[in-house]
Amino acid sequence: MAGALILRRLAQIAVTTAILSLCAFLLIGLMPGDPIDLAIAGDPRLSAEDAARMRALHGLDQPLLARYLAWAQSVLGGNFGHSRLFAQPVSALLGPALLSTLELLGLALLLAVGAGVGLGALAALRPRWSGPVQALALAAQAMPTFWLGLLLIILFAVTLGWLPAGGAEGGWRFLLLPVVTLAFANLAAYTRHSAAALTAALAEPHIRTARAKGASEARVLWRHAWPNAAVPVIAVAALDAGALVSGALVTETVFARPGMGKLIFDAVMGSDFNLALLALLVVAVVTMLATLAADLIQRWLDPRLA
Amino acid sequence: MKRWLIAFLFLVLPAMAQGRDTLTIGITQYPSTFHPNIDSMAAKSYVLGFARRPVTAYDAEWRVTCLLCETLPTLENGLAVRERTPDGKDGIAVTWVLREGLRWGDGTPLTTEDLRFAWEAGRESTTGFGPAEFYRSAYEFTAHDARRFTIRFDKVTFEFASLGDFAPLPAHLERERWRADPRAYRSRTLYDTEPANPGLWNGPYRITAVQPGAGVTLERNEHWSGPPPHFRRIQVRTVENTASLEAQLLAGQVDMVAGELGLPVEQASALMRRTGSRFHVEYKPGLIYEHVDLRLDHPALSDRRVRQALLHALDRPQIVARLFEGRQTVAHSTVNPLDWVHEAATRQYAHDPARAVALLEEAGWRPGPNGIRVNASGERLSFELMTTAGNRSREAVQQVIQAQWRAVGVEARIRNEPPRVLFGESLSRRRFGGAAMYAWISAPEGVPRTSLHSEEIPSAERNWAGQNYTGFRNEEMNALLEALPQELDREKRRDMWRRLQAVYADELPALPLWFRQDAHLWPRWLEGVRPTGHLNSSTLWAEEWRAR
Amino acid sequence: MKSGLLILGALALAALAAPIASAALGHDPFLPDLFNRFAPPSAAHPLGTDELGRDVLLRLLHGARVSLAVGLAAAMAATVVGTAAGLLAAWKGGWVDAALMRLADGMLALPALPLLVILAALDPAAIGLPRGEALSDMIRIAGLLALFGWVGVARLVRAGALSVLARDFVRAARAMGVGEGRILRRHVLPELAAPIAIATALAVGGAVLAESTLSFLGLGIAPPAPSWGNMLANAQEVAFQAPLVALWPGLAILLAVLGCNLVADAISRKRR
Repeated sequence: MAGALILRRLAQIAVTTAILSLCAFLLIGLMPGDPIDLAIAGDPRLSAEDAARMRALHGLDQPLLARYLAWAQSVLGGNFGHSRLFAQPVSALLGPALLSTLELLGLALLLAVGAGVGLGALAALRPRWSGPVQALALAAQAMPTFWLGLLLIILFAVTLGWLPAGGAEGGWRFLLLPVVTLAFANLAAYTRHSAAALTAALAEPHIRTARAKGASEARVLWRHAWPNAAVPVIAVAALDAGALVSGALVTETVFARPGMGKLIFDAVMGSDFNLALLALLVVAVVTMLATLAADLIQRWLDPRLA
Repeated sequence: MKRWLIAFLFLVLPAMAQGRDTLTIGITQYPSTFHPNIDSMAAKSYVLGFARRPVTAYDAEWRVTCLLCETLPTLENGLAVRERTPDGKDGIAVTWVLREGLRWGDGTPLTTEDLRFAWEAGRESTTGFGPAEFYRSAYEFTAHDARRFTIRFDKVTFEFASLGDFAPLPAHLERERWRADPRAYRSRTLYDTEPANPGLWNGPYRITAVQPGAGVTLERNEHWSGPPPHFRRIQVRTVENTASLEAQLLAGQVDMVAGELGLPVEQASALMRRTGSRFHVEYKPGLIYEHVDLRLDHPALSDRRVRQALLHALDRPQIVARLFEGRQTVAHSTVNPLDWVHEAATRQYAHDPARAVALLEEAGWRPGPNGIRVNASGERLSFELMTTAGNRSREAVQQVIQAQWRAVGVEARIRNEPPRVLFGESLSRRRFGGAAMYAWISAPEGVPRTSLHSEEIPSAERNWAGQNYTGFRNEEMNALLEALPQELDREKRRDMWRRLQAVYADELPALPLWFRQDAHLWPRWLEGVRPTGHLNSSTLWAEEWRAR
Repeated sequence: MKSGLLILGALALAALAAPIASAALGHDPFLPDLFNRFAPPSAAHPLGTDELGRDVLLRLLHGARVSLAVGLAAAMAATVVGTAAGLLAAWKGGWVDAALMRLADGMLALPALPLLVILAALDPAAIGLPRGEALSDMIRIAGLLALFGWVGVARLVRAGALSVLARDFVRAARAMGVGEGRILRRHVLPELAAPIAIATALAVGGAVLAESTLSFLGLGIAPPAPSWGNMLANAQEVAFQAPLVALWPGLAILLAVLGCNLVADAISRKRR
C-alpha cells in the first residue's frame, strides 16, 4: 500500500520535473541578452567576428527547441554541462551548494519547529502567555527576512563583535545568524498551529483521565497531548518546504553564504542559463521529496490518513 | 546557566584574533574563470595579480613596464624594428628577453616555449581566447633561446611594447589538453578544473583552494624568484552585497576592501567618518568614465544645441560634492585628466541653466504645458533616461539629473533595466529610447575607437559588434581614430588627442559626467599597496605589501 | 477585528492622503534636494529626509499607494483565479478536478522565490508590457505573485465546495430544478465567504512582504516611484549611515502585514 503510494508520488515528481524543465528552458530562452552580448559590452576590443565565433562555440546560434532537446538528452545521459559563470562543470558546483543549503535548511527547520512547538505549548498551558506568544509569532511573520538579517548582523557582528557577519568558512559560528534568521521567518506557522492543536488536544477526555490519574503536567503534555497535535504541525512543515527554500535564497544573499539559493540568483543575474536551470530543477526535486517525506511521516503518525 | 554563558563566550570570542601573516581581502565579484587568457574581468585581474604575472603591464603611474621581461623594447634600443610584412604591409618585429630564473610553481622553468604555446593556442580561433585582434596581428612567433623571443606584427601601433593580456601558459601542463581538442579547451583547462595545481602559477602566490562564488585562498609560491612576499596566506572573499561587505570589514572578518571592486566612495567615506582612525583609505582616481550616452538619431537629441543645453543644465560639481563627497573627477571628455594626453584647454560646460534655456530656445524648443518644452510641431522635449537597475548610486544620480533637466523644461522618463538586459540588449542592439548612463573602463591612452568610430555602430549585419551605441558619425573623428594608434611620435600624437577631445566636447555624442575614484580601504598596519586606477590591479605588485 | 481593520484603514487613508500631505508640507517627495540629505526629523520633515534629500514621510505615504496596490491586486487576482479553479474542480470533478489538483500540487511543491527570480528577470517586453515603468512593474509583480498565490485558495475552495455540494439543501435545490450556476452563486459561494476572506487578507500581507523581498534582490519596483519595498532595500545600503531611514519602511511593512493577519484572525474567530 505505502509502497504503491510512494511509487505513484515518485512518478508524479518525475513528470512535474520534466514539465518544469521544458517550461523553464523556454522561459529562460525568452530572457534578453545572451552571454556573448555581455562579453562584448564588457570588452571594447571584441570584434564582430569574435562575437560570431563565440556564439557558434556556445551553440547559441541554434533554435530554442533544438537546444532544449540537445540539453535534455545530455542531462539524461548524466552530462550536466558547464557553468559559464564559474567555469566549472555544473555537477561540481551543485553538490557543495546543495549540502550547504540543506545544512542551513535542516537546522533552521529544527529550530523553527522546536521553538514553535515550545512557544505553542507555553501558550496552550499558560493562557497568560498566549498574548505575547501570538504577538511574537505575528512579528516573525511580518518582518522581511533581509531586514531581520541585517539587524542581526548590525547587532551581533558589528556592534558586539561576537559572531561573523557572513561567509561560510565552516564551523557553527558562521551558521548561527543565518539559521536564526531563517528560523525566525518560519516560526509563526509552527507556533500558531501547535498552540491551536495542543489547546484542542488538552481538552480531550483522555487528557482529563490522565490528569485524574495523577500524571505530571509535563507527562500529560508530551505523552498524551502531543502525539495528536503533531500531525497538523508536520502538515505545516510539508506545505512550508517551498517557503523555506525561498527564505534560504534571501538568507544566503544577506550573509554571503554559498548555497543553492545564491547559486540560482547569481546564475540568473549572470546569464548562466545552464546552471540556473539545473539548480532550479535540483531545488524543485528536493523540495518535492521533502514534501513527500513529510506526508509519509504524517501518515505514519496518524493511520487514519492512509 | 552562568557556566553555559561563559562557555558560549569562550567559543565565540577567540576567532577574532588573527595573525599578521594572513591577509583577508573582500571584493564584490567572483571571477568567472581563472584562465589568464580567457575573458577579461576585474575580479579575475585582481585575484590573478597575486598568482601569475604577464610579461608587461601598466604600473601605478600608467606607464608600460616590464614584469617578466628585462627591458621594454623600443625603436631606440633596437629591440623593436620596423619592417615590411611578407604581403607588403607596414609591420614591426618586437623582441622581449625574459628575466633570469623564472619558474612555475612546481619548479619547472618558465621559458619561451610557454609563450609559444600561448601564442599557438590564441592563433587558433576555436580556442576562444579573449580579444582576437592581438592574435590576428601577431603573425609570427620566434624563440631564439629559452629567454629571448620575437613577435612580428602586421601593423605598427604605439603600444607595440605592451603584451597586454598575452601571458605565458604552462606548456608542460596545458599543451596536451589543448592539442587534444582546442574547442573544448575552455572547459577542460587545468586553470578551472584544478586551479590549485602549483604548476599553473608564476607569481609570488599560488592558488591553493577555491570556493566557487565565495572565495579564493592563495599561499606563498616557493618557486617565485622575485623578492619574497610578506604574507604567508592571502584570502580573497567575495561579498556582493556592499552593506554585508561593510559589515564584514567592521566585524574584522575581512582586513581590507579592495578598491578595484569595493565599496562605493560615498559609502567608504561615510564609513571612515564613523570609524575614525581604524582604517586607512586611499581614493584613487581611475579610468572609469561615467557618462550619459545619447541616441543621435533621436529627433530632439540629433540637434547639437540640445545636447549642449543638456550638459549646461547639469550641475556636475554639485552632484559630485553632495552625493560623492567630492570624490569623483568631473569629466569634460573621454580622456582622464591624469592621462598624459589630456588637454586642459578643452571646452568645458559649466552649470548654466540660463545658457541651457537659450540654447533650447535657439533650437526651437519653447515652453509648453506642464513646464515641458515643445517644438513648432507641438512635440514634447521628452526622452527615456536609462541606467543599470539595482545600482543604487547610479539610480540616485539619475534622479538628480532628471530633476535638473526638468528645471530647464526637458522631461527624462526613467526606465531602468538589470545590467544583463541593458548591456546585453538595449545598448548593444541600440534599443534605448534616448539616453543611457553607464561607465567605460579603459587602459591608459586607450584609443576609444570602438565607441566613437562610425564603423563601430552596432547593426544586425555586423552581428551587433561594436560599442558606438550613440550612432556617432564624424569624418574627422574617424580619421583621428584610425591614425592615432599608428602614430609612434608622442608629440604628434598629443596634437591628435587634442583634436579628438575638441571634437568630442563640441559634438557631445555622450554627456561626460565624471571619472570614478576607487576607495581602497585597508588596515593601519598594512603598507606598500599602490592602487593603479586601471585594469592592471594593485595586486601585480603584491610582493611589496608589508605588515607593520 | 477592530484593531486589524483600524490599522488597515489608517494605512489606506494615509495612502489616499499622500497628495494632501504633500500640499500641506509644501514639498515634492520626488524632487531631490542635494543640500538636505539625511536630515534629522524636523517640523518641515517629520521623519527626516532620505539619501536624496526627499521627505521620508511623504515618500512613505506615496509608497503606501504602490505597496498596497500591489498587495491588493496580487491578492485579488489570486483569490479570483483560485476561487474559480477550486469551484470548477469541486463542481466538475473527474479529470478536470484531477488535472487542476495535480497542477496545484505541483505548484505548491515548487520553491517560489527561485522561480520568481527567474520569472522576474524575464523580458516584460516579450509579453507586451513596457519595460521598467512603475505601472508595468506593479502589474508584473502582482501577476507573478498571483501566479503562485492562487494555489492555496483553490485547494481551500475546492475542499469547502465539495462538502457544501454534498449537503442536503444543495441536493434539494437541484431536485427543484435550480440551475447549476445559481446553486454555485447562491448556495456554495456564500458558505465559503469566510475562508476566502481569510485567505485574501493573508495574501495581501504576503504580497507586501514579497514585494519588499523582490526589491531587495533588485527585481522590484524601479525608481523614482517609491514603494515600501524599494525604500527599505535602498535604506539597507545606508543602514550604518542613517539607520532611521531603514526603520520607517520596515515598520510600515510590519504594520500592514500585522493588520492583515489581525483581520484574518478575527474572521476565523468569529466563525467559531
